[in-house]
Amino acid sequence: MAWNRLTPAGRVLAVLLPVLAIGGALTTALLVAFGGAIAATIGANLPIVRFLVASVVTFLISVPVAFLLIYMEMKIIALMNLRIGPDRIGPAGAVMSVVHGLKVLMKEDYTPPSVDVPVFTLAPVVVYLASFMTLLVIPFAPELTSMGFELGLLYFFAIGGLSVVGLMMAGWSSFNKYSLLGGIRAAAQAISYEIPLTLSVVGIVILTGTLSLPKIVAAQDGSFLDWFIFRQPLAAIIFFIAITAEANRTPFDNAEADQEIVAGFATEYSGMRFGFFFFAEYVNVFIVSALFSAVFLGGSNPPIHIDLNPQILIDLSALGIGLPLIAGIAPVLGTLLFAAPIWFASSRIKGWQALVAGFLIFGGVSTAAVGIWAFVMLPPVASLIWFLIKTFALVFTFVWMRGTLPRARIDQLMGFAWKWLLPASLLNIFATAFAVLIAGR
Amino acid sequence: MTGLWYVLGFAVAGASFVFLTIGLAWLISHRTRGSRGKQVPYESGIDTYGDTHGRFGLSFYLYALLFVAFDVEIVFIYIWALNFKVLLMDGLISMAIFIGVLLVGLAYAWRKGVLSWR
Repeated sequence: MAWNRLTPAGRVLAVLLPVLAIGGALTTALLVAFGGAIAATIGANLPIVRFLVASVVTFLISVPVAFLLIYMEMKIIALMNLRIGPDRIGPAGAVMSVVHGLKVLMKEDYTPPSVDVPVFTLAPVVVYLASFMTLLVIPFAPELTSMGFELGLLYFFAIGGLSVVGLMMAGWSSFNKYSLLGGIRAAAQAISYEIPLTLSVVGIVILTGTLSLPKIVAAQDGSFLDWFIFRQPLAAIIFFIAITAEANRTPFDNAEADQEIVAGFATEYSGMRFGFFFFAEYVNVFIVSALFSAVFLGGSNPPIHIDLNPQILIDLSALGIGLPLIAGIAPVLGTLLFAAPIWFASSRIKGWQALVAGFLIFGGVSTAAVGIWAFVMLPPVASLIWFLIKTFALVFTFVWMRGTLPRARIDQLMGFAWKWLLPASLLNIFATAFAVLIAGR
Repeated sequence: MTGLWYVLGFAVAGASFVFLTIGLAWLISHRTRGSRGKQVPYESGIDTYGDTHGRFGLSFYLYALLFVAFDVEIVFIYIWALNFKVLLMDGLISMAIFIGVLLVGLAYAWRKGVLSWR
């Protein structure tokens, strides 16, 4: 067998291509044979179909988001350090993190003989599940929530807190003193900051009277002055510090402090099991940013409501046979339109280069046009875009902090949670309760 | 009830994704047994010394004890906060007494030096 002579990339293709080919053929055959029956089954089992769609979409969110965050972190910190950062793969190095992911997938996944194998293998699963399952309650838009639990906030804290168990499992099963120290540090830090984190949102629970995240977002409807960051500023500060510590981010990344304890709980890990810890970490950064923007920054509400009242409705069905004609002709015309000035601009540019450039420009312009149309015409799209803008502003803040702040010492870190954040969050609860009492609402 | 099925389904979906990916990595990555140096725990190039799961810093244990006390308290505070607009003054007074008792405990721990790292 020529298996050993294949390059790693060749092995991936050798496995994936037949699987994809067989899968595609089987899907087509099934659709042709049982199309009507499948449509009838979908109609009869809508809740199950909704669940499948929700889980697939959530999964599809988590993977590109992790890649995007890794790229953002590499590039932004590089620019802050006056370096260039990734610039080889893709435009401005944008595909770099995907290639990193593939590289980790092909690395040797070594299990040292001294480790406790079942616990060692389960630890990354628990850590990943803890962040993946919290995506279930993130209210991307009023219509785009996987599951709007009545106890969404409590569910978030309960499941998010489980990642401590995974880190502790990794540290304990590795039989390495660095891992043990990293795991116990992670556990001590996470449980200390869990208390200010959960207590800081109690003020909001008093004001809204609910734990459901979509309802908390709906309570911030109106202008940006209705956002809870202005009504509960102390809670917002405490919450932000606590989520930084929960996500193990600088300045609170003592659990994996490279200079002190190598890689902390991940010291003995390699290959994909190592990859999952960091995959989960980046998904976690996105999730805590999303939670902050939902609870304090109004989530999917726009800062100011502008009633555009759009009248320019394009009724696609009225076009009839014209629709396929336009869809076929518009790209060709657009490509030629954008290619012509480039071709005329310089005699050194070849015809095919001008055509490729024209096609890319046309693609960008038409995508932007469709995006603006969807933003104006479709409320869920506008909500989703506002939510993502706020979330990625926070993600940028996390990356910015990593680029500028030094690491806190472990004793300062633990003392800060118990001596400052805990009394401050209790003070916030009583101040809010008192204010509600005085206002008589 | 649907919520529970969603949670269970998500757990199964996420876990199977992780196991499938680790399995795929196991299939396509190379594996070597390596020398003795590869098999010892990585402790900065020094052979491991003594018992790994031996004695450990007491501070971590004390923080965990404090955590249990306050985490149980949070369960009560959430229920109180949900119903605060019904309870009003009575709720505020009773919660002040409840948290006051817990704060006495925190003050005792603080006074005894549990919160300062040693």
